[in-house]
Amino acid sequence: MRSVISGGAHGGRVNVTPMIDVVMVLIIFYLLVGQLAIDRRTEIKAPITATGIVETQERDPITLGVHRDGSLTLNGEGIGLARLGGELTGRILRDPTLAVRVRADRGAPFGEVRPVLRAVREAGIDQVELVTEQGP
Amino acid sequence: MSEHAESDRPHRPLRRRNIVDGSRGHFGPTMTPMVDVVLVILIFFMASTTIAGREWFLRASLPEPHENMPREEGSRFVLPAPMIRVEVFTRNGAVLVNGLQDRELLIHEAVSVIGGLDDSASEGIVLLIVGADDIAFAEIMRLHDAASAISMRVAIE
Repeated sequence: MRSVISGGAHGGRVNVTPMIDVVMVLIIFYLLVGQLAIDRRTEIKAPITATGIVETQERDPITLGVHRDGSLTLNGEGIGLARLGGELTGRILRDPTLAVRVRADRGAPFGEVRPVLRAVREAGIDQVELVTEQGP
Repeated sequence: MSEHAESDRPHRPLRRRNIVDGSRGHFGPTMTPMVDVVLVILIFFMASTTIAGREWFLRASLPEPHENMPREEGSRFVLPAPMIRVEVFTRNGAVLVNGLQDRELLIHEAVSVIGGLDDSASEGIVLLIVGADDIAFAEIMRLHDAASAISMRVAIE
């Protein structure tokens, strides 16, 4: 049996075009899944609202997650409230135009959300984007 | 070009095809790469639509702490006037809102009151929502949603 690599009459060449196509599809797939995983990893159920803003920004905002149990994430990575202020301040100093988006669980007590909003305010940001799910 | 000469030509898969290929039985463009690219674009737009369709966001102002007020004071934030300050809290399992009328309202009553405000009258007014610790975040966002529906700005303390 003639192998693909031996080529024979085709001069020993391997057609790499399909392989490149498949690899490209896989890369794009994992990029998308990875980006989704950052947002969905925590399984936060956002509140449902009938109004909202659908906006696609060229740059990703800083995303703060507030779980139902009060644990926090910064862009998908766990973080404590004590470190949050410093992290936010550092990032805002590097890029003052960065937006801050808060994904808080709909069942989270507001007592767990308020310290996050205060940390954001104390970092010099006077407006946040509160993530909600599109409702009827 | 004879049949013999054609079979002796080395096969080069990456070589750009030209009109001469038509005489070799491969007339027309190669469809495979185009199908691959179209498939990628299709997957990309399907995924983008799914992401964009699920979630959106509402903007909220974060009031600036008043330097001269201690943290324990109730109205320690500076906001551009005029504003409506509402407090959301629970009592006996019911979610109540104080500050919209001269009596405490149930949350759904408060949503109706806000929804009944005139758009022009509410323009420029900030709704400052002050939530109790045990209030679910969703209740805060119910008021925010009602205010946003009439283009009222919202601040959350």
